[in-house]
Amino acid sequence: MAKLSRWLYSQLRVIGATARKEFIIFTRYPANAVLELIEPLMWLTPLYFMGKAFSAGGHAVGFEGFTGTSDYFSFVMVGAFMSSYIAVAFWGMAYSIEGDMILGVLEPNWVTPANRVSMLLGRSIMFALLTTVQSLGVLLIGALLFNVKVSGDIFIALLIIVPMLIAILGLGLGLAGIVLAIRRAQTAIDMSNWVFSQISGMQFPVTVLPKPLMAVALALPTTYGYDAVRSVLLGTNPLLPMKQEIIILVTSAIVMCIVGRAVFYAFDRRCRRLGTLGGH
Amino acid sequence: MSTVNSIEVENLRRVFTRRAPRKLPWRRNGGGKGNGPGTTGSNNGGNNRPKTTVAVDGISFGIQSGEIFGLLGPNGAGKTTTIKILCTLVNPTSGTARVAGYDIVREPAKVRGSMGTVFSGERSLYWKLTGRENLEYFAALYNVEPSKTASRIDSLLCKMDLEAKANELVERYSTGMRQRLAIARALLANPPVVLLDEPTAGLDPQSARNLRDTVRSLRDEGHTILLTTHYMAEADELCDRIAIIDHGRIIALDTPATLKAGLQEMHSLEVEVDRAPDGVLDELRSLPLVRGVESYASDNGLETWTIRVLTEDSRQTLDALLDLLRASGDRVLNMKANEPTLEDVFIALTGKSLRD
Ligand SMILES: Nc1ncnc2c1ncn2[C@@H]1O[C@H](COP(=O)(O)OP(=O)(O)OP(=O)(O)O)[C@@H](O)[C@H]1O
Ligand SMILES: [Mg+2]
Repeated sequence: MAKLSRWLYSQLRVIGATARKEFIIFTRYPANAVLELIEPLMWLTPLYFMGKAFSAGGHAVGFEGFTGTSDYFSFVMVGAFMSSYIAVAFWGMAYSIEGDMILGVLEPNWVTPANRVSMLLGRSIMFALLTTVQSLGVLLIGALLFNVKVSGDIFIALLIIVPMLIAILGLGLGLAGIVLAIRRAQTAIDMSNWVFSQISGMQFPVTVLPKPLMAVALALPTTYGYDAVRSVLLGTNPLLPMKQEIIILVTSAIVMCIVGRAVFYAFDRRCRRLGTLGGH
Repeated sequence: MSTVNSIEVENLRRVFTRRAPRKLPWRRNGGGKGNGPGTTGSNNGGNNRPKTTVAVDGISFGIQSGEIFGLLGPNGAGKTTTIKILCTLVNPTSGTARVAGYDIVREPAKVRGSMGTVFSGERSLYWKLTGRENLEYFAALYNVEPSKTASRIDSLLCKMDLEAKANELVERYSTGMRQRLAIARALLANPPVVLLDEPTAGLDPQSARNLRDTVRSLRDEGHTILLTTHYMAEADELCDRIAIIDHGRIIALDTPATLKAGLQEMHSLEVEVDRAPDGVLDELRSLPLVRGVESYASDNGLETWTIRVLTEDSRQTLDALLDLLRASGDRVLNMKANEPTLEDVFIALTGKSLRD
């Protein structure tokens, strides 16, 4: 028992130290930090006008038929909000490996006795916190400038995000393993992040997708995360009953963590076998 | 031997396989370049057979606790690969190694916990963090006891003479300071074993001297040290024992004094000439009693070359040597006969010089 709590404590310490390190480095580029925080506004604004252009008397009628809400902009905004958490896995976890390789600091991290999963978690948790700040800011500005009316309970929405975020962290672990092996992954990360967000229904209800693509969408746990959060916040019609969506999210959180961890360590072992660790 | 070895390496071998870079379609029929030494496999024409390099070729050695052990060898000899295997970044293809009693393949986490590694080059630190922040971060990774972390960091900063710059970003450090910070990091957990890959590379002579003093003080505190270098003088001065490594093989292993004593009956001639003597070297090598010949640009700032000849008897070699040089049109500018150095040991063993 004492051993377990000591182990847990040292893992939390690694996670905390890594998050702190990432945060300090983030603040050492102040211009970039500010821009990153306001960036979502830049690409959300045109969508507001697009939603307006497709609406009659403030109601996007066709859209309402698919989703149960006529407020396209709020729909997209929540989608963007959720997508920034997907980016945590792709950029916060997977890309940080490439970043470290480029800097030359991966090897000194890798020769410490610290648990590698904890190191990766620390990075992504810093990004997840930043993302939350960013998203809340976007929601606030949306409410002030664009008339976004959040009717539901934000607290419940955040509770739903937790299993989705855990599932995404599992995905991030697996991706980090892949980056360890292929090393130059920036473009691949960028593309797969985008595809993942889009197919999960960032900007449209997945029910508009043609059958094969919809099948892919329904296989992604994030789809249910987006759907459930929208349903809570905006009162959209959920794809499945809420309870089922939450069960799916929790189950996939567990499965993806186990699989992601296994994939990461498999690639880590492969790199040691091939001797490709470090360098780029 | 009663002392327990801190590092035990047995028949370690590492082969790298790298797919030859894919040729552009319109270049398919171009002639393939010759393969470097230690390289087999080919990449001619269309077939993309992977290229294999034997980086470490069956080395064995044991390092006693509290010893400074040097791996001395030219570029590409396999020094860094050996370090990477020992610090668990790369698996050996075959053979075994133990660090502080732990097997590097079966107990990697324990190995990492008993060892600090200083990588070559200065990029291994976070340049956007201060020296202290770097150490704070790595202290958590090395699981330094939280209540002792602050004092441990302070004492390491002091010991490495970095106190004044502790709160400055590493990007504003000099190369020597970065190297000292990297050593401080390796010492965070006070590990029994410290690995240093080319610790003085890129340092000015004064900093290099200070760094060697630091390494000696680490030994005196009881750390076991494995370092690599391609400076013979450094290995000679610093190491208790040296393994000379070339093409992944250890070709000699002993104390510097013993290695040199083996050549005591030999003479080392240094001849300075006015141009690159490429043509005559082979002729010089075929002279009787000559054991090794090497040439390199003299480091005197003048555009001259130095030929180094290791001979069993300079009295019998000298005249023929001068004849050959003059016949080939080289002008002899200066000449010295020296005590054999480690460089001569290397020349005698491999027939070539350690220099690039
Ligand atoms: N990851 C790798 N893949 C393929 N070949 C490699 C790899 N790492 C090293 N090698 C090759 O193995 C050989 C030994 O390299 P190593 O870096 O161990 O030499 P070294 O003694 O450290 O040399 P240097 O003085 O240049 O640092 C070289 O021929 C090198 O090209
Ligand atoms: Mg090297």
